[in-house]
Amino acid sequence: MQCFARTLMAAASLALLASCASTGENVDQTATETTEQPGVTAQPGQEAYSYAYGQAPGNYDSYDTSGAGGYPGGGQPGQSGQSGQPGQPGQPGQPGQPGYMTAGGGMVSADRIVYFDFDRSEIRPESQTVIESNARYLTGNPRIITQLEGHTDDRGSREYNIALGERRANAVRQTMTAMGVSPQQIRVVSYGEERPASSGPDEQSHALNRRVEIVY
Amino acid sequence: MKSFEKLFIGLLLLIGMSHFAQAQINLDITKKVEGSGIPIAIAPFGGGAPEDFAGIIAADLERTGKIAPQPPQARADYSVTGQASPGGARGYIVQFQLKDAQGGQLLNLSFDVPANQLRPVAHRISDLIYEKLTGEKGLAGTRIAFVAGGGGAWYLAVADADGQNPQVILRSGQPIMSPAWSPDGSKLAYVSFEGRRPQIIVQDVYSGSRRAVSAAPGINGAPSWSPDGQRLAFTLSKDGNPEIYAAGLGSQSPVRLTSNGAIDTEPVWLPDGSIVFTSDRGGSPQLYRIGAGGGAAQRLTFEGDYNARPAVSPDGRYLAMMHRRGGRFHIAVLDLQNRQFRVLTPGGAAESPSFAPNGKMIIYSNGQRLKAVSLDGATHQDVALRGVARDPAWAPYTR
Repeated sequence: MQCFARTLMAAASLALLASCASTGENVDQTATETTEQPGVTAQPGQEAYSYAYGQAPGNYDSYDTSGAGGYPGGGQPGQSGQSGQPGQPGQPGQPGQPGYMTAGGGMVSADRIVYFDFDRSEIRPESQTVIESNARYLTGNPRIITQLEGHTDDRGSREYNIALGERRANAVRQTMTAMGVSPQQIRVVSYGEERPASSGPDEQSHALNRRVEIVY
Repeated sequence: MKSFEKLFIGLLLLIGMSHFAQAQINLDITKKVEGSGIPIAIAPFGGGAPEDFAGIIAADLERTGKIAPQPPQARADYSVTGQASPGGARGYIVQFQLKDAQGGQLLNLSFDVPANQLRPVAHRISDLIYEKLTGEKGLAGTRIAFVAGGGGAWYLAVADADGQNPQVILRSGQPIMSPAWSPDGSKLAYVSFEGRRPQIIVQDVYSGSRRAVSAAPGINGAPSWSPDGQRLAFTLSKDGNPEIYAAGLGSQSPVRLTSNGAIDTEPVWLPDGSIVFTSDRGGSPQLYRIGAGGGAAQRLTFEGDYNARPAVSPDGRYLAMMHRRGGRFHIAVLDLQNRQFRVLTPGGAAESPSFAPNGKMIIYSNGQRLKAVSLDGATHQDVALRGVARDPAWAPYTR
């Protein structure tokens, strides 16, 4: 709006209009030249973060207490090539179906994800199909065990979000057992906000993060 | 771990020296703090040691919000001069003087230290000056623990209170959460998802030795030390939903302290042994208090629509928490004596508060970086760390 008004008032040239269009509300040329670097930015006097994620533990279960001395700082999530969950024949989630790479590097198919509303753990009506197809697979393969991984968006307390993620995973478990799946086939773990599927600060990312992943 | 051993030995040396130092202090001058702080002129240290003593001391004092460092020639109420030169039995002799405006000497001390203790000595000098001028214990020589990384590689790290000298004490391919210092500052309890399930681990920060304290089915979360360091309170969901438990460090069976269909989590101990925790039993997350053995819960917070993650001040008078109003998260403080509730931060994504051991500052995270705010809300700092850092825990004073 502001941009539009200023453009009118100044009887601006086409070039100014173009810059207006490309930078949203900002017609200040100097501002458009500044590139913002989200996340890790070097503070004055500090060198930029340069840790290679290839050095990270390559194993899901590994840990190491001998790392004193080498503080790597943080960084952006790296797809470190860890193996995902091996595919099971005949189970939901065929190659080529929509999904995304998890923080751990595993591919999670969209038909193994149940999404939730903000601060809620009720199953949405449209999630019934996803849960049903997985429940059918589990009842047909009683020796298969699934892990339901509960997640939240990054708003709120981290430990409270662990509890909220578990509540969501339990809601999926209850729906599955009501569909005839043996409780012995289901394990529940909550990661809270610690393993986001999407790292953006917007509602679209929040919505992608409020989820339960059905992992085999 | 080697550098930690060095740090530990260095601390022992410093503690030994501080006794010597205190023996020489007999003036007792405190000055009322006003405005932007007590002006103090700090001259560059001569002598050629490879640390910027004046710079470190000025930064330490500036961060307190109560002292205003000035250039060497400035007119100020106090002045600091010093020297750090090769020599002595350990490698360097560091000496400094604190004088008042009339030239009266308030402190005149020297330290004999190895090269790797120059920075800790600079912090020690900052604390001696701060204590002399304010009568409060300083924080420059303290440490913070925090969690770094994410997205495939997590780190539990310990750094100096100014964010310098960070040391990784655990790296993992799975999330690490909620570090909590033992009251003696020698151990950290934390949550680790190694093995793809949460466990509560207690780790000695000097030796690196560690053991799982709890690995029950479901949630194992939010560990907190009892004031005597003998017990831990934490959250388990093994009985169906998240409840508060406490266990002795040696015993194998945790005692359940809450019984409720709602979420109960984030227990912290008050000095009297009672426990404050987060619960959504009233609909939204709020803070409640139970006795040492459980029993009826008393609701403590009524402001805003979300109060969680309590932290207790060392004297037990204040509770810091994350507090939501208008959709934004702040750090707020409840005075348990007069029930006064104060919001300390402008608001955003503030989380995970932790009190400094002198009770004057609160460190917290905005999910990406560590920040600190004074208990009165007047002083705000950014803790300089590379990369993402969250879940800070300010270490207690080590004796």
